[in-house]
Amino acid sequence: MSAEAWSKETGAAIEARGASRYYTMGETTVRAVDDVSFTIARGEFTALLGPSGSGKSTLLNLLAGLDRLSAGRIVVAGRDLRTMDSEALARYRRLTVGMIFQSFNLVPTMTLADNIELPLRFAETPRTERRERVLELLTNVGLAHRASHKPTELSGGEQQRGAIARALANRPSVLLADEPTGNLDSRNGQEVMTLMRELNEKMNVTVLMVTHDPALAARYARKSLHMADGKLVAPVEALR
Amino acid sequence: MMRQDLFELAARNMRNARLRNALTTMGIAVGVASLVAMLSLGIGLQAFANHQLMKSGMFQTVFVTGKQDIRNREESAEENADKNSGNAKPEEAPVLNEDARNKIAALPGVEEVVPEVRAGAEVVYGDKTNFTMLAGLPESAREEDVVENVKGRFFSSATADEVLLQRDFAKKLEMVPESLLGKTLTVRYAERQNGDSTSFSIERKEKQFRIVGILDAEPFGGMRMISRARVFLPTGTAEAMNLMLAADTQQLVRSSPGARTYSMLTVRMKSAAYAEKVEASVKQMNYAAYSYLDATKSIRRFFSVLDMFLGIFGSLALAVAFLAIVNTLVMAVLERRREIGIMKALGASDADVKKLFFAEAATMGLTGGALGVALGWVIGRAINFGSNLYLHKLKMPAENLWTVPLWLVGGAIGFAVLVSVLAGIYPAARAARLDPVQALRYE
Repeated sequence: MSAEAWSKETGAAIEARGASRYYTMGETTVRAVDDVSFTIARGEFTALLGPSGSGKSTLLNLLAGLDRLSAGRIVVAGRDLRTMDSEALARYRRLTVGMIFQSFNLVPTMTLADNIELPLRFAETPRTERRERVLELLTNVGLAHRASHKPTELSGGEQQRGAIARALANRPSVLLADEPTGNLDSRNGQEVMTLMRELNEKMNVTVLMVTHDPALAARYARKSLHMADGKLVAPVEALR
Repeated sequence: MMRQDLFELAARNMRNARLRNALTTMGIAVGVASLVAMLSLGIGLQAFANHQLMKSGMFQTVFVTGKQDIRNREESAEENADKNSGNAKPEEAPVLNEDARNKIAALPGVEEVVPEVRAGAEVVYGDKTNFTMLAGLPESAREEDVVENVKGRFFSSATADEVLLQRDFAKKLEMVPESLLGKTLTVRYAERQNGDSTSFSIERKEKQFRIVGILDAEPFGGMRMISRARVFLPTGTAEAMNLMLAADTQQLVRSSPGARTYSMLTVRMKSAAYAEKVEASVKQMNYAAYSYLDATKSIRRFFSVLDMFLGIFGSLALAVAFLAIVNTLVMAVLERRREIGIMKALGASDADVKKLFFAEAATMGLTGGALGVALGWVIGRAINFGSNLYLHKLKMPAENLWTVPLWLVGGAIGFAVLVSVLAGIYPAARAARLDPVQALRYE
């Protein structure tokens, strides 16, 4: 079955079948992600839970197209990651998925507006359209007044909201978040989570969020996946 | 990524490491400056030498002799053997006659064709009689610097009954040569009188001339046959006199005297650019041709070798700059690992990352190249100024030893960009190869 037909039939945003990632370290092979299979429907908000070292981040990197599968198959929005070359993967990262990180990863030497413009530059969006889009994104996350500030001049919450705006610049259908509140205090963390849920509900962006905090997952996510030692310990579970 | 974005990002990155990039750019500038300084000195010297040679007008001149001419006998025999052509015998080669002269005069670019008229004659002035050489000096000698330091003046026309005397010869006639100006002397010479087609006769003639000038140096820098004479008269006058020439003797000996032939024709072109073509056309007519362009081929070869060596020395500094660029960019890759990881996570392709580093290298090359050309120009002016001070001390006229042609400006900047982009190959490849997962983990 073609990837296209597969995800159309299942209506899934993310499909993983036997997804695996092994690292060889000298004599031993570390199975960071080991034969993981799951399906996430379109428009879903899913939490990926598990203790540190359980392989959550590695799985997220695989889904983001930053890392490559050792075995199995992953299809995101109808795109089969296994068959893509590095150029196609870059295109996939640019247009199909958006990613946010625990440490925000804004380029420190660029203003917030320049940071948000970066993925639009990679997508070769025309200049005038780009400027409008940056303003629209900044307004959506409530940071229009911070456009010309450098990341160091922003609070952690503002930085993460800026990073979310940047992740959504090219209107991806999937948002992948790696411990997005890990570096934030609870007030800023709540703000960021509320924003993510808003985007998920209003813009129908599928969200997969890695976290080790079950309380946070229970509060904002609708479904959850649990990982331990590179394996899924329970199938997709509805939280609410 | 679009090119404009690429250079915008590159410029931003350069600004962020201002000091380091400025130092590297200065390194390129010094390299380019030394290259420009060396090469323009070479070009300047060549132009200087060329100008000195051009002044003689020799490059505009081709000398034509018949292959029957004694002077060309060996040479043409050799040539014919080489080419294996049918006319191995010089006796069968066409003679240099009036017809040939007209044909050559009709070639494109030819301004004047003058026969070489040079014959022995007796010069009578007062009670002194000297047997010496007479030669016709073409009208073109007037415009050029071929006749340096004339006391008095040049001929009033190509057919005037006037002579110029060589200073040494003039001294034989009068203690103070200048006092001869305006005086008249008598020339006794042998005239060739054409008989029927198989013979000619020689008759003794006499003609009076006005002395109009005294020559201090030999015309044409003494580099031509007609320079070897004591008394010079206009070519037109000399031709009209129908002097018995050396070539006539040859005809007589061969017992095939016909119409007048010339031993040598001097062909003058409008500019040196025609010389090569005219020389080739004349050779095709099966005459021997020679120009000073041939002689200067080795000089020109010398200058291209000189330029090459100067260029190599100049490039050494640029090679050092090359290493500086590699170093700067490798440092930048290490320093910006995380940023590269972020860019890749946001969808930059390997090619985008690579191009960004190339753009940075090219920007440094362009800036450094432009600065370097300016710096090289200043250094050159300084050297020129210094050497002219020295020339001035030696009481010699100032010379421009320094030429920065436009192609050198463009070439040097282009070369700097090329070298910089080449220096960027390794760092750019390294940046593109970075694993984004590891790069993002890097703090």
